Amino acid sequence: MTCDEARLLIGADPLATTPELEEHLATCAACARFREEMRALDAEIRRALEQPPDIARPRSAGPSPAWRQWALAASVVVASFAVLAVWLLRPSDTLAREVVAHVQAEPESWLATQHVSAQGIAQALRGAGVALDVTSDRVMYAQSCWFRGHYVPHLVIQTARGPATVLILRHEQVRARRSFHEAGMTGLIIPAEHGSIAVLTRGAGDPDDIAGQMQQEMHWVPGAP
Amino acid sequence: MRNSEPGSPVSSIGGRVPAADAGAPIARVFESMRPELLRFAHWLARDRAIAEDIVQEALLRAWRSRDALKDPAAARPWLLTIVRREHARLYERKRLELVSLDEVVETRASPGFPEPGGELFALRHAIMRLPIEYREPLVLQVIGGFSTEEIARELALSATAVLTRLFRARNKLRVIYGLSAAPDAATPESLP
Repeated sequence: MTCDEARLLIGADPLATTPELEEHLATCAACARFREEMRALDAEIRRALEQPPDIARPRSAGPSPAWRQWALAASVVVASFAVLAVWLLRPSDTLAREVVAHVQAEPESWLATQHVSAQGIAQALRGAGVALDVTSDRVMYAQSCWFRGHYVPHLVIQTARGPATVLILRHEQVRARRSFHEAGMTGLIIPAEHGSIAVLTRGAGDPDDIAGQMQQEMHWVPGAP
Repeated sequence: MRNSEPGSPVSSIGGRVPAADAGAPIARVFESMRPELLRFAHWLARDRAIAEDIVQEALLRAWRSRDALKDPAAARPWLLTIVRREHARLYERKRLELVSLDEVVETRASPGFPEPGGELFALRHAIMRLPIEYREPLVLQVIGGFSTEEIARELALSATAVLTRLFRARNKLRVIYGLSAAPDAATPESLP
């Protein structure tokens, strides 16, 4: 049995087993690990499907005729506030979504187990106009990523509460801190001396802690592009 | 595992299993299955109202063809199969209005339902977003307990095609779960 055949069987039904599969897994650590991961995922899928989706399109309850005029007036006011809110909030909201999308597009970044060398970190920071005091034994992933028209440092830092992703966004100005939850991640974008810093964690990680730490350990290089 | 599907289509809709026979054991079996059938239909149709219609229609079909159910112990897979076919029939007949997942909202915040932002919440939404060709075999396997061969028969696919779809369904969910997507292990011959 090849690894592809084993993974197809495991992915299709992580709980299924055959003598051929067991024989393969006894000699292939990578496929054995794959099965462990898929079994853990499968347990979550079963939990997820235990309840009905229980979602529905928002339904507008029909107002009584006597209230229609008031409802219309109220809806105009609400709509005005909504437009204002969208106008005020849209940039950072969009930024948050793009940060999440970027991290989702690099799922392997969360799984890195090797420390990045000091040279690797320097390469990721190169051109971003920032220096970092963080010791390389805490950095598990460091890349210079294309994001919104610029190369930005994308780091994954190991913390006591698990990995945390940090994007240093020198060219993205935000007015105020913004926290968000999306796709199983908790995120925070804070204004920085130059631009902003985005931090994403999963599970028990606390983005506030990481962001505070990063602000202390980062030094913006004057005159950088 | 399955009995054959009831014969001629039934177009009527309406109340529950006929009250006159409500005391019959088979009627009680059907009624006791209703919540599970609804959950199953709901994951297929992604719309509660449609799911309720599907289950209602399926139970009526089942009732009218109850003589085909030789073994009451096989009622569960038999009913699930009827629900699945009813969903497929409705899907083909009406080309169901697509439910935009950007417009849907979690309507319940009761205990037992995952909180927005959690991994389980994200996983449930990711399952909802799976295309029907991946979601359907996954739901048949996980909720229905159908084997690969049974799913293949039900969906008129080869067993290899079912394996491929199940693999791809879970592979799409791996990323949501925080794992990297595995290389597609499906061979060109096994593509559905």
